[in-house]
Amino acid sequence: MKKFWRVVHYEYTRHVLRKRFLLGLLSVPLVIAAMALVVFLLVRTETNDQPVGYIDHAGFLSTPLPAPRSTTFSRPVKMLPFESETQAQSALERKDIQAYYVLEADFLQTGQASVVALDKVSSSVRKQFEAFVRTTLLAGQPPEIIKRLNEGDNLVVRSADGARQMGEDDWFNIFTPFIAGFALMIAMFTASGYLMQAVVEEKENRTMEVLVTSVSPGQLMAGKVIGIIGVGLTQLLAWGGMAILVILVGRNYIDLMKGIHFSVASVGLLLAILIPSFVMISGLMAAVGAIVTDGREGQQLTSLFTLPVVLPYWFIYQIMTNPNGPLPVALSFFPLTAPVTLTMRMGFANIPVWQVVLNIAVLVASAIGALWLAGHTFRLGMLRYGQRLSWREIFGRSG
Amino acid sequence: MTAVEVSHISKSFGPVKAVDDVSFTVEKGEIFGLLGPNGAGKTTIIRLMLEIFKPESGQVSILGGPMDEAKKDRIGYMPEERGLYQDIALERVLVYLATLKDVPSDEARRRANQYLDQFDLTAYKNKNVKDLSKGMQQKAQIIATLLHQPELVIIDEPFSGLDPVNTQMVKNVLMDLRRQGVTIIMSTHQMHQVEEMCDRILLVNHGRVVLYGNLDDIRRQYSGHAVLVRTEGNLPTIPGVESIVTHNSALKLTLSPGTSPQDVLRALVALDVTLEQFEIATPTLDEIFIRVVQGEKGQE
Repeated sequence: MKKFWRVVHYEYTRHVLRKRFLLGLLSVPLVIAAMALVVFLLVRTETNDQPVGYIDHAGFLSTPLPAPRSTTFSRPVKMLPFESETQAQSALERKDIQAYYVLEADFLQTGQASVVALDKVSSSVRKQFEAFVRTTLLAGQPPEIIKRLNEGDNLVVRSADGARQMGEDDWFNIFTPFIAGFALMIAMFTASGYLMQAVVEEKENRTMEVLVTSVSPGQLMAGKVIGIIGVGLTQLLAWGGMAILVILVGRNYIDLMKGIHFSVASVGLLLAILIPSFVMISGLMAAVGAIVTDGREGQQLTSLFTLPVVLPYWFIYQIMTNPNGPLPVALSFFPLTAPVTLTMRMGFANIPVWQVVLNIAVLVASAIGALWLAGHTFRLGMLRYGQRLSWREIFGRSG
Repeated sequence: MTAVEVSHISKSFGPVKAVDDVSFTVEKGEIFGLLGPNGAGKTTIIRLMLEIFKPESGQVSILGGPMDEAKKDRIGYMPEERGLYQDIALERVLVYLATLKDVPSDEARRRANQYLDQFDLTAYKNKNVKDLSKGMQQKAQIIATLLHQPELVIIDEPFSGLDPVNTQMVKNVLMDLRRQGVTIIMSTHQMHQVEEMCDRILLVNHGRVVLYGNLDDIRRQYSGHAVLVRTEGNLPTIPGVESIVTHNSALKLTLSPGTSPQDVLRALVALDVTLEQFEIATPTLDEIFIRVVQGEKGQE
């Protein structure tokens, strides 16, 4: 057992302490951050921050209160009072203002208002004006009422059996499984790719002979797979940690992030799907490493199972529109397409419990099968230099 | 005491019989030479001994019984060429491989540094293995084989890539180990090293044993095929002599099959030749190797 842990430790540290791992770890969040920055700058530069005028025939905005700080990306717009529509119109024509609102005399009774603008008024400007009006209207009310009214409503849709509900702000809970599935795939393929490469290299440079005369092949293979899963999980944890940090900080500034909350059940389910999937893919990668004679051949062979893993993305429309339909259900039962299909279905629907249990059981069985296959092909193929194992040899006999 | 006992092992790869009914024993504390031309089955025999492969028939007893996990810690194995992680620092590889042989990592590091010093590699201990020269990698591999202080060392081509100074150093290390009672099985093509170091040898060809036993006995068995003669004056024609070549200051007479050195001596005396030297030429292992591999049988 001690030797097994030594293999785990060695395999883990040899990858994690490398520059290429750190680079891979940082590159994904950096790319996402760069994309977010581009979006932010685009929104900022495209927002018209010219002032907005208003004519208050209802007469309640004579001493307006400043609107609460905006929590969107858009820049705050100044609100300018005008005596008459003619003045406002000439300011608009001079392009001193981008639009002006006219609040009718019976505004407080009817809520009737009109807006005059040269271009379409953006929703963020509209929201800012609404907040500005609302703040003055609510002056004198207790702060919690002001806050509550400013936050508006959140429609929650609940399934008939009450097992599942989805609020308007719950967009995050739809996309978490989706994003988690994607992150898992990247982590899984990079980490198990290292594993395959390492096995091929050890075969090529005959370190394998030294290793199997020191440790049992079973211990060696299990140690390698566990070490590599550690590498993948480190990657996922680091990304997850960064995402949580961004959300915790971001929710103070960005409205969209306020609806984010984590459900223990979905995180648990996600892990129950992801961990056996990870073991299964790593096992298969190690088996390929044991079969092939060089890394390039290995990559060709791995496409046999990397393609089915990403296949569900081709059927994303069918999965989104009918998550419990026959195709998504069928894809969930096939071990290689199950991880991505299940994570997507989780976001869009309630998967029947019996299906979840059965799907996870299939994944766990496949993970064990993949480990067995890795050990078996490894035993057969470890010392076949420059000679590939045939399928008949792999499946034709045991031991 | 027997360190390794191999009895009637066979192994085929497809239609090729790589090892065919091979039996031999290796005594504790001896240096045993495993010889044969390229592709003769030496490496397969080693792998069968270490249970990297399982034989189709026959049995191997190693350190007093069948191979098991605990015995792996008592054996040091160096495969031919490479056998080390290439893109890891030298010291780290050595320590890792030793810990897999159940040496605590602190102790492994201490011993590794001791060996690195002895093998003149201290300056390279933080370099990746692939950045070392072939000779340095060879030395590093020898260190990896010996670091856990094995009782049985199985070493394939220990001198390959080494210069004469390092060859001598490795030879000294192996001889020291033998003095300490370590059993060494050495596979090599360098016959003069075998002659100097080995007590007994096994010569295989096409997977079969063609020569096995004590080195001196084998050489005696193959002697009598030639005689060294120095005479006053010219040598007359002698029946049963196939060829005559100059060998140092003497002549080496190669005898035809069926002719014994005694026959030649009798003929020389009968011809009244004045002999300054008459000696049965002991063949070098190189010569025996070539003769055996080329299908010639030794004299009974």
